[in-house]
Amino acid sequence: MEYASFLERMHTVQDTYGYIPENEIDKIAKEFNIPRAKVYGTIRFYSMFYTEPTGKYIIRVCDSLSCHINQSKEIVQIIKDYLGVEHGQTTADKKFTLEIVECLGYCGEGPVMMVNEHVYTRVSGNMVLDILKNCV
Amino acid sequence: MQETLFLKHRESENIKDYPFSALKKALAMEPAGVVAEIKKSGLKGRGGAGFPTGVKWELALQEEADQKYVICNGDEGEPGTFKDRYLLEGTPFKVLEGIIIAAYACGAEQGYIYIRGEYDGPIRIFKKVLESAREKGIIGPNVMGSGFSFDLYLVKGAGAYVCGDETSLINSIEGKRGKSRIKPPYPITKGLFDRPTIVNNVETLAAAAEIINQGAERYLSLGTEDSRGTKLVCLSGDVCNPGVYEVEFGQVTLQEIIYDLGKGIKNNRPLKFVVPGGISTQVLTEQEIDIPYTYEDIAEAGSGLGSGAVVVVADGHDLVDLMLNVSRFFMDETCGTCFPCREGNRQVYHMLKKVNGNLNEEKSRIIADIGKTIHLAARCGLGQTSLNFINSVLKKFENELIVRGDS
Repeated sequence: MEYASFLERMHTVQDTYGYIPENEIDKIAKEFNIPRAKVYGTIRFYSMFYTEPTGKYIIRVCDSLSCHINQSKEIVQIIKDYLGVEHGQTTADKKFTLEIVECLGYCGEGPVMMVNEHVYTRVSGNMVLDILKNCV
Repeated sequence: MQETLFLKHRESENIKDYPFSALKKALAMEPAGVVAEIKKSGLKGRGGAGFPTGVKWELALQEEADQKYVICNGDEGEPGTFKDRYLLEGTPFKVLEGIIIAAYACGAEQGYIYIRGEYDGPIRIFKKVLESAREKGIIGPNVMGSGFSFDLYLVKGAGAYVCGDETSLINSIEGKRGKSRIKPPYPITKGLFDRPTIVNNVETLAAAAEIINQGAERYLSLGTEDSRGTKLVCLSGDVCNPGVYEVEFGQVTLQEIIYDLGKGIKNNRPLKFVVPGGISTQVLTEQEIDIPYTYEDIAEAGSGLGSGAVVVVADGHDLVDLMLNVSRFFMDETCGTCFPCREGNRQVYHMLKKVNGNLNEEKSRIIADIGKTIHLAARCGLGQTSLNFINSVLKKFENELIVRGDS
């Protein structure tokens, strides 16, 4: 196995299950002929890989400097109140996982949030609630 | 005030409409000739460190190895920076052209473009670009009939700011944790899979393509002696017209970028400070921004041009809150290898968290001290620059921030 395809392999598993389960770690370790601990260590290094199940929708809200001075804090609070979870947590119905993340690269259009791979820019409190309500 | 358009242009989505004129020109030259042209242009790396691109390519060309690699660094993550996304979305063929030219110039037959995982749009666009380029023979066993073979693969990052550092990025492509490597050996001699590797930023490669296209002479006619050509500036924060602007070095001041191109501060509020090159650089106050936008002038003002991220901060924000925000960024994003960076950034965060309006001289001195330690002891750029923002805010707004011992 080419090591350069390692991340891609992880992405595929992550996208399939919403996280990287134990048995997949075993498989990857065998495929690439590396210890399981090393696979686990790599997974844990990257914020887009999870070792626990995530919600159907991963909500990522940017709170880096440019978004922060454009009131991303308020957006974060509105989402926290609506979903009833904190940063890094998943709702009880397994629908949403909330992540307060660093720069998403849309600094000129903040505040910014991502729902799975979809990006929403210049979001307001009302917009955010509409977006979340439309996640079914 | 107008932008100087050297790099920015509209590109058709169809590969058939893109002439690849720079690539054709390059392939008709000797690799050493391409390197000489880039060296002559004075182009510097646009990712943040500003290393002369021609020198990098020349060193790579001189290396002898069974395999060499070229990597396009699209792991743009410095808060305030979005120019690489702009290029990957708007002018992906030019970026591709730049990568192939770099590969040809250095004798690399394989390349990787590493795009951060959060950039789903650019990743999708570039996947299509690679497909159509392979179909058209722009990449593959015989690039445009020249006899030069080059293949390019896309790697999707997975959320780690530190992978923007070239050695961390190489580790990440190799499927490892994105930790930095000790230099030397530099990637030029021992990089990806221990082979000579050049890592160039997206903007650098796009500029290189355009330099070959329009000629180094044209590039030399733009900018100043130490800052040749143009730069994409990412303007964000409390500014009326944020966005990506292309400016000629030395022709505009930092102030003009904010007040003319950016149309000034939102709601006409007074300016508090400007972050001239991303949050790894020192802030500049209103009195310090009437300087030409060049590497040398910003360095002389005590900061850096960095990645070109200009973040405008108006009066009225809680400074400690802003410092905490930046501090949290580095605490979260340090790779954890160098102890001073890992623990130092954590300590600074917790100190600032406990401030509650009581920032005294001693705390400020300790933070400055930690900054010095990290700068001296961290082995990659992330660590070395991690306290630039905080220490410059502490120093420049000392009077507002520090509660004196006797009060």
